[in-house]
Amino acid sequence: MRDHKTIICRCEEVSLEDLVRTAESYRCSSRELKLRTRAGMGQCGGRTCRALVDSITQKCTNDSTPHDIPLGYQAPIRPITFSIMGEKKDE
Amino acid sequence: MSKGRIIDHPILGRLDEREEVHFTFDENKLIGYEGETIAAALLANGERVLRCHEETGKLRGIYCNIGHCMECRVNVGNQKSVRACLTVIQEGMEVKSGRKLPTPFKKGETQ
Amino acid sequence: MIDVIIVGAGPAGLSAANVCAKNGLKVKVVDEFMKAGGRLLGQLHEEPDGTWWNGIEEAKKLSEDAQELNVAVECGVSVHNIKQEKSYWKVYTTKGDFKTRALLLATGAAETSLPIPGWTLPGVMSIGAAQVMTNVHRVRVGERGVVIGINILSAAITRELQLAGIEVSSMYLPGKNIVTEDAAKPLSTMKSMLKVASLAPSKLIRLGSYFMKYESLQSLAVRFYPKNGMKVWGMPVHLRKAVLEIVGDKKVEGVKVAQVDVNGEPILSTEKFVPADFVCIAGGLYPLVELAAISGCPFQYIAELGGHVPVHNENMKTPIDGLYVAGNITGIESAKVAMKQGAVAGYSISMDLLKTDVNIEDQLQQAINHVKQTRNQATIQFHPDIHSGREKIHASFKNTLRTDI
Ligand SMILES: Cc1cc2nc3c(=O)[nH]c(=O)nc-3n(C[C@H](O)[C@H](O)[C@H](O)COP(=O)(O)OP(=O)(O)OC[C@H]3O[C@@H](n4cnc5c(N)ncnc54)[C@H](O)[C@@H]3O)c2cc1C
Repeated sequence: MRDHKTIICRCEEVSLEDLVRTAESYRCSSRELKLRTRAGMGQCGGRTCRALVDSITQKCTNDSTPHDIPLGYQAPIRPITFSIMGEKKDE
Repeated sequence: MSKGRIIDHPILGRLDEREEVHFTFDENKLIGYEGETIAAALLANGERVLRCHEETGKLRGIYCNIGHCMECRVNVGNQKSVRACLTVIQEGMEVKSGRKLPTPFKKGETQ
Repeated sequence: MIDVIIVGAGPAGLSAANVCAKNGLKVKVVDEFMKAGGRLLGQLHEEPDGTWWNGIEEAKKLSEDAQELNVAVECGVSVHNIKQEKSYWKVYTTKGDFKTRALLLATGAAETSLPIPGWTLPGVMSIGAAQVMTNVHRVRVGERGVVIGINILSAAITRELQLAGIEVSSMYLPGKNIVTEDAAKPLSTMKSMLKVASLAPSKLIRLGSYFMKYESLQSLAVRFYPKNGMKVWGMPVHLRKAVLEIVGDKKVEGVKVAQVDVNGEPILSTEKFVPADFVCIAGGLYPLVELAAISGCPFQYIAELGGHVPVHNENMKTPIDGLYVAGNITGIESAKVAMKQGAVAGYSISMDLLKTDVNIEDQLQQAINHVKQTRNQATIQFHPDIHSGREKIHASFKNTLRTDI
């Protein structure tokens, strides 16, 4: 009812309505849902919305949660500046 | 110490006296205290809005306060996307709120 | 080369560091927060015996021990990547890269949310954010707020806000949608509060323990739940009202609240505006596993532990050489359990790195028993079936090894 006004992914401002519509029409995995809507692809790496996106996927496809993490993580998992990436300060 | 802070606490006791730290947020000159995070010092000064969404312009403030959500990111000096909740204020620090980007970046295919 | 790097200076990480250092290992702890102690720092609960669990004091003790034992604790440093090399781990941080023989991930938990319209407005924050602002930074989150989400953590933290003189006018359920569903149902909310009893507001407990015995009475309690909420610590807890929307122009100005039926469906004609200058959202906790995920460690989804957790055994070892886990990354429990798990990891790492010392094995066994004892006596439990969750994850470790062979 208020789903178009309910933001799920704050970083990319993806609404619940968009996510449910996409999940229902493609009956897809969380990963595909993310790629189609950009939910979970923002600055926070999905830390705020990944559980929500997973639960939308499960409810729309009637699947149970897989043991492998549905929305994978990728390094770097924290913001880093380019100077850090170039730095070589091994100990 | 200003009204935004919890000076006396029935269990945790009285807040220690701390050195003042002067910093700016956009054009405003503000005072915080030694050891405070940017997020805490700004909130104590009544500043709730830290940035706006780069694309939609919607306003944002702190959300998780422990470094996970990235919502409190601000610019500090010439460093971009600094988490205000994890960064301690320094004397003379220039903090700038995150702005809407002039040209909307391209959204990925939705369908 | 460092013997042990520990990511996270919370109760688990610091406890592990101290055990390793006592056994003569060279230890480095890194944490991105500006103070050591992790989420312990914000905690302030009254124990059943009337004493206070003061997280700041507990963290101080752990840090002082660490300092005495020459543990290098570095705060304000984020780990952004880890890689396994032939005989060591490489840890990439915002202040340089390091090599270590053993790597312990003690990164704790993160909060889940309850998304409703308006929750991106400045002034809306997670309940944990309010806890840290209040007890750690000692800055007021506002003058008068509301809490959305009724659970063990929100009950505890609402009490902490009150102690600090910050008014919380009410606790409400979240408006119901496909993702808030479970937290939006009066009956299941009541049941989950009762199961984790001891820290929950005592009145609710008394009412609950009476009704708990009979399924039919539970739904009666919900059906006849007082319209004005039940006052706990002078503040109404509303199991039959939900926040449908958070409103405000540039920041929070209030919430739209409506009565809900026993299934959590709003009765729209009852909608009212309640003014507030801050709103806390309490959706619960999940293990923060990102570094374990990029290490290639296998995972299991175990609801009792709070979500996806890296496979590990009772010794806190993962199936990956030299990689250990402890604390809330292995499942959501109280800080006391996290400390004991940290000690286990410490002995386990010491045993693996100092192969000659036989005494450590006994100490490891003792430490494992301490975890169990602490778990059994815990005043705060986030999930009533935590024991079965632990059994499942330990069993999965054995299975992982079996399929590897
Ligand atoms: C917001 C919040 C509030 C909580 N409140 C309570 C409460 O009131 N009562 C209760 O019993 N339990 C509470 N908990 C549960 C809490 O997780 C445990 O009580 C306990 O603190 C867990 O200990 P830990 O050592 O596993 O993790 P934590 O105490 O969470 O410590 C983990 C540390 O790791 C650091 N870290 C994480 N990732 C990185 C990285 N990539 N680089 C560098 N550092 C990193 C973090 O900054 C943090 O300091 C809360 C949890 C959260 C998230």
